[in-house]
Amino acid sequence: MTATTHDNENPAEEVTSEITDEVYDIAIIGGGPVGLYGAYYAGFRGKSVVVIDSLSVVGGQVAALYPEKKIYDVAGFPQILGRELIEGLHQQALKYNPTFLLGESVTGRSVNLDSNIHTLKTASGRKIHTRAALISGGVGTFTPKPLPAARNFSGEGLLYFIPNPTELQDLDVVVVGGGDSAIDYCLMLKEVAKSVTLVHRRSEFRAHEASVKELFESSVEVITDAEVTSLLGDDRLEKVEITKGDEVIYRNCDRIVAALGFNANVASIKALGIDVIENRHILVNTKMETNVDGIYAAGDIATYDGKVKLIAVGFGEAATAINNAVVRIDPKEHLAPGHSSDNKG
Amino acid sequence: MPYVITSQCIGTMDKSCVDECPVDCIYEGDKKLYINPFECIDCGACEPACPTNAIWQDRRVPEGEEAHVQDNKDFFELTLLGREGPIGNAGGSQMVGAIGVDTELVRGL
Ligand SMILES: Cc1cc2nc3c(=O)[nH]c(=O)nc-3n(C[C@H](O)[C@H](O)[C@H](O)COP(=O)(O)OP(=O)(O)OC[C@H]3O[C@@H](n4cnc5c(N)ncnc54)[C@H](O)[C@@H]3O)c2cc1C
Ligand code: SF4
Ligand code: SF4
Repeated sequence: MTATTHDNENPAEEVTSEITDEVYDIAIIGGGPVGLYGAYYAGFRGKSVVVIDSLSVVGGQVAALYPEKKIYDVAGFPQILGRELIEGLHQQALKYNPTFLLGESVTGRSVNLDSNIHTLKTASGRKIHTRAALISGGVGTFTPKPLPAARNFSGEGLLYFIPNPTELQDLDVVVVGGGDSAIDYCLMLKEVAKSVTLVHRRSEFRAHEASVKELFESSVEVITDAEVTSLLGDDRLEKVEITKGDEVIYRNCDRIVAALGFNANVASIKALGIDVIENRHILVNTKMETNVDGIYAAGDIATYDGKVKLIAVGFGEAATAINNAVVRIDPKEHLAPGHSSDNKG
Repeated sequence: MPYVITSQCIGTMDKSCVDECPVDCIYEGDKKLYINPFECIDCGACEPACPTNAIWQDRRVPEGEEAHVQDNKDFFELTLLGREGPIGNAGGSQMVGAIGVDTELVRGL
């Protein structure tokens, strides 16, 4: 192992006394590609699973940073779009009905030393009891970058993702941003919404050339070198103020979609009471065990000598972690899962 | 395979790149900014934000700028003038603020 120092202060482990609610077999912290695959594997092993992610969608870095990029190095797919890979992983995991808690960050952990049950705490105050946990937290909790103009606006109408475009039917929509997701949202909404306006603070777009071309040929109004400076309306958004140089423009707006990118934060991982090295990684052994009994790590956040951060690598680590966790929580179980092709599929 | 900041940043330092970085791994020296190659997740979000075209993927830096690949690394791994030890992997530039000193290479430019 490379020489590394433990440069975080480990919060003293708290102890939970009484547990009355449901206890999961395996909790998965982080629903990126690795966590989703872990959820599938835990389900395949017949274990109850909860997947927790700070984002309101699954898919981690792939969903947040490059849903429209093609990936060429996932085993079995000569090429696959990021969002298609996530869709496939999500479907595969859903086969065994895991619980998903989205929009929730895990911010703490305690343990009952008699039963060895861990209790995870989320930012909203929820408690999740589990026999084992897999930390597949990647580069930390993702949250969308906030829209500065929304700071003084508390009404309805601000969105960071669009899970269901039909909810924006016949509405005036303003999209803010200059990346792939901003443009993709505009192109997706142009047939659905009453009007679509894209506001970008620069004149260049950081997106696929073909989609930028399609954007400029579409009915979407594109306002560049401009910023949304105010959201107007009381309980509900009605209008936005856009500032372009010295000019102030107003547009009717029922919904504003902020596609400004994401922040990743490792602070909550450090609060789990597990050794974190180099301020962002968790050291694991060949079973993917961390320094805490019953807590495993896989994917970008897990490290060991020779680690390569790739989706394919994370898949293998997730399978190793889950199968070892299964034996840890029930020593009568076999480590080898059996072949999925045999019967269970 | 991180991104690196080359000499074009010197004197501009508008920090547009800092706003784009999802992992906050772009740190401020005195007259230039530096990307921590260990913390960078290679997402490329900073590159189009730079008005001077100073940001490149490490294996694609333009001719004459090759030394900055190592120099971005040195900023974090060597002890900079007047400091007690290397900055290392601080876990985010917001945590440490502006460092206010440059590498030897950049001080000489
Ligand atoms: C632009 C780009 C291109 C890439 N291209 C490729 C490629 O071609 N091939 C390849 O193999 N890899 C590629 N990668 C790397 C790949 O995306 C990562 O290796 C992969 O996403 C790691 O998956 P993960 O599940 O470990 O973590 P992530 O994808 O980072 O997911 C972690 C999830 O955990 C959540 N989380 C973290 N902490 C908490 C908490 N405390 N509570 C709740 N939720 C939490 C986060 O919100 C996040 O959703 C690329 C990365 C980028 C940025
Ligand atoms: S490539 Fe991404 S992670 Fe790396 S410095 Fe640029 S914005 Fe930050
Ligand atoms: S955007 Fe470019 S010029 Fe501005 S600080 Fe970043 S690297 Fe330097």
